[in-house]
Amino acid sequence: MNDIIEKALLKAGADIVGFADVKNILKPEIAHLERAISIGVCKNLNENTVRLLDSLKKKAVLMLKKEGYRYLSIPPDSDRAKDSFISNLYPLFPHKIAATSAGVGWIGKNGLLINPEFGPRLSLATVLTNAPLETSKPYEKSMCGNCSLCVEYCPSDAITGKEWSRENPFVDLINLQNCKDHKEGTRSFNGKPNCGFCITICPYGRKQIKSQSA
Amino acid sequence: MATEEKTKEILDKLKNAVIQYDEDTAKEGAEEALKEELNPNDAIFNGLVSGMEEVGRLFEAQEYFVPELLMCADALYVGLDILKPHVNQLDLGVKGSVVIGTVEGDVHDIGKNIVKMMFDVAGFEVYDLGKDVPLDKFIEEQIKTDSDLVCLSAMMTTTMVGMKKVIDDLKAKNPDIKIMIGGAPVSQDIAEKWGADGYAGDANNALKDAINMISSLKKMKEDAERKNS
Repeated sequence: MNDIIEKALLKAGADIVGFADVKNILKPEIAHLERAISIGVCKNLNENTVRLLDSLKKKAVLMLKKEGYRYLSIPPDSDRAKDSFISNLYPLFPHKIAATSAGVGWIGKNGLLINPEFGPRLSLATVLTNAPLETSKPYEKSMCGNCSLCVEYCPSDAITGKEWSRENPFVDLINLQNCKDHKEGTRSFNGKPNCGFCITICPYGRKQIKSQSA
Repeated sequence: MATEEKTKEILDKLKNAVIQYDEDTAKEGAEEALKEELNPNDAIFNGLVSGMEEVGRLFEAQEYFVPELLMCADALYVGLDILKPHVNQLDLGVKGSVVIGTVEGDVHDIGKNIVKMMFDVAGFEVYDLGKDVPLDKFIEEQIKTDSDLVCLSAMMTTTMVGMKKVIDDLKAKNPDIKIMIGGAPVSQDIAEKWGADGYAGDANNALKDAINMISSLKKMKEDAERKNS
């Protein structure tokens, strides 16, 4: 079943698809869903990307539903305004847990998911399911190594430079207040709370963007 | 008007859309119901709600879990949003207004939201205070809205004790007010001990209890008025 889902999603526009074993790490409400499908798209984050992720998610769900499996699909973080009952459950499971557990990437010093090919440039959606999917090898620790470009270039000195590992996932990677204050500053300047230095500076996946824009 | 056959088909469609948590079909079914000029009340209660009743059974039988339950509720609302504007008055024989919320310190509101939905569907006026609601707020809101019923929810044993205070205060101000409590740590015993009028283990019971309570309340009022006149 892995193959069928992966192929269908890649064909429909996903850049990467991973399968994770999330047994034992789920909150009780969703503990019966033991597998997570992590879907990544490497594109600028805008409405079209969100729509694409949404359609990929639906595609996966339809395939699972047809086979009679249970699921819970979690939309991209930027698409949660919808005031629905099911949205109560979204905060129970962050995309990054699925992605690291599925071997899609690790959590970099900048606190973002880093994929060796696409770097921190993936937008993510997750589908949890009880389908007995085969799983990939998870990342257990950060592969950033000595690279500290994001730490050096962060305009708000928000990145502490500590490293993530699965054993110790809650280290303070980011001083969120610094980051937030800085983004508030740019909002008052040009109306957009954008920064993104820690994304553009990351050497992983920089080629992808170049080849895309060329 | 649609033929009997067509009516049944649409009602089944609405029912199954809720059971299958299929929002697209719920929308389609609701639009069809309007097009075929079905009675919207019928479409809601014999379609959508009867689907939700089945979902309640599946949930109790542990065929469905929380995610399915919520997705079903979302599908129901998709249909309800389309049908509701065409309903003049949802008539269950009783109408009432209800203040509902999760007590202070508690942020669990899934159960509360499902109960709220049942009230919504049944045509109650619902004043939802949300979660982590300061205890005084329940009393304030009840007085402000002159509601017949106050529903308190708590998920944790630590926050549950707040309910007792609200019950005492409300009953002191207005002995006629009916109070229902619900949530994982709550039981019939506790409800009786604390002087709540109803206890709801699940949303279906909450609604039934609420309707019974309000009709008895209305009857009491009527009796009192008759005596006075």
